[in-house]
Amino acid sequence: MKFLVAILAALSLSFAAHGADIEINDPWIRAVPPSSSATAGFFVIVNKSAAPISLVGAEAPISKDIRPMVTTKISAGGKDVMGMEFVDRLTVEAGKSLALVPGGDHLMFMKLADVPAAGSVVPVTLIFETPSGRKSLAIRAPVR
Amino acid sequence: MASGRKPARPRTGLLLIIVAACAAIAIPATIVMFSMAARSISPWFGKYDHQAREAYDFQLTDHNGSPFQLRNLRGNIVLLAFGFTNCPNICPSTLAALANVARRLPLEAQERLRVVFITIDPERDTPEKLKAYVPFFDKRFMGLTGDPATIAAVAKAYGAYFKKAPPAEDNPADYMVDHSTSVQLIDPEGKLRLSFRFDQLPETDQIVGDFLRVLGPETATETNGETLPESQPSAARAR
Repeated sequence: MKFLVAILAALSLSFAAHGADIEINDPWIRAVPPSSSATAGFFVIVNKSAAPISLVGAEAPISKDIRPMVTTKISAGGKDVMGMEFVDRLTVEAGKSLALVPGGDHLMFMKLADVPAAGSVVPVTLIFETPSGRKSLAIRAPVR
Repeated sequence: MASGRKPARPRTGLLLIIVAACAAIAIPATIVMFSMAARSISPWFGKYDHQAREAYDFQLTDHNGSPFQLRNLRGNIVLLAFGFTNCPNICPSTLAALANVARRLPLEAQERLRVVFITIDPERDTPEKLKAYVPFFDKRFMGLTGDPATIAAVAKAYGAYFKKAPPAEDNPADYMVDHSTSVQLIDPEGKLRLSFRFDQLPETDQIVGDFLRVLGPETATETNGETLPESQPSAARAR
C-alpha cells in the first residue's frame, strides 16, 4: 500500500519538480527535426526562498552543452527583430517566478548528441546558484 | 510666353478659394472617416493591409532542388515566413504554430494553403538541410533557398530584416542569425493582405478565421458550423 502511494505520488509529480525552495512547473522540450543541432527547453521556475536564485546550467544525456539564453527584441525599421544571447545566469528574485517560453528566455540544448523524438521524455538536471551554494534539481521534460 | 501672361493675382485668389473649399470638405470628411475607423472593430486578427500591394515575385530553389516561382502559387493563400534551420527557438515555434493552423483548417481550405519558409542563412541552408527540416512540421510546407543576393532582395522586398550574430569563438560556422519574425499572408490574387506578429501565431483559431475570410464567405461558413463574420466593406473595396 505504501508502495502504491509512493508510485501515485511519483506519477503526480512526474512533470513538476520540487526542491525545498525551488519549484519547476510544466517542463517541455521542443520537438525538432532529426537533423537539428539544437533545441530549446521551457518551464516555469518558482523561487519560494527568501533570496534570489539563478539558473546557471543543466545536464542531460542529449547534449553536453546546455546554457540559458534570453531572446532579445529590438525594433528595426518598425519591425520586431528577435535575436538570442547566451547568458551566464537567469535570475529569479525571491518569491518570484520566471517563465521560460517560446520566443522568450529558454534553456538551449546545443550540439545535440541525440535529437529527442516527440513523445519521449528527457531527464534534465538543472543547476542553480543559491546563497547557500549550488543546487541541482532533477526534472523530466516531455518532448512535444 | 511672358508677354501673354495675365495678372497673377486673380488666379491666385481663385486657387485659394478652391483649396479652401476642398479643405472645408476634405478635413471634416477625414476626421469622420478616422473616427468611424477607430470605432469599428476590425474583423481581422492580423494586421490588415488595405493597400494590398502586389507581393514581390521571386524565383528561388525549393527544398527538392527545383526552381520555385512565387507567381505559380496564384489561386492559393501563401503564408510566408523567414528563418533558418539552426534556429532553436523562434523558427520551430513559428513552423509548429503554422502547422497547427494548417491542421485546423477545413480540408477544402487546407488545399488552398501554401506555407513557404525562406532561409535567411543560405550559406548553410542547402535544399537538403531545408528538406530535412521544414516538412518535419508539416509535409506540405516548403523550404526555399537561393544565392545570398537574391535572398537579401526578397527579404528586403518583404520588409524582413536579418543580421548574422558573431560566431562562436571556436567555430566560425557556428553562429545565430537575428531576424524579424512576422508571417505574411499573400491572397489568391498575389496581393500582400495580412501580417501576423510572432506573438499572435499561437492563436490558431484567430488565424484560421482570417484565412477563411480571405478565401471568401462561402468557405468561411464551414468551420465547425460556426459562421464567421464576413469581410467589411473596406476589405471589399481594397480588392
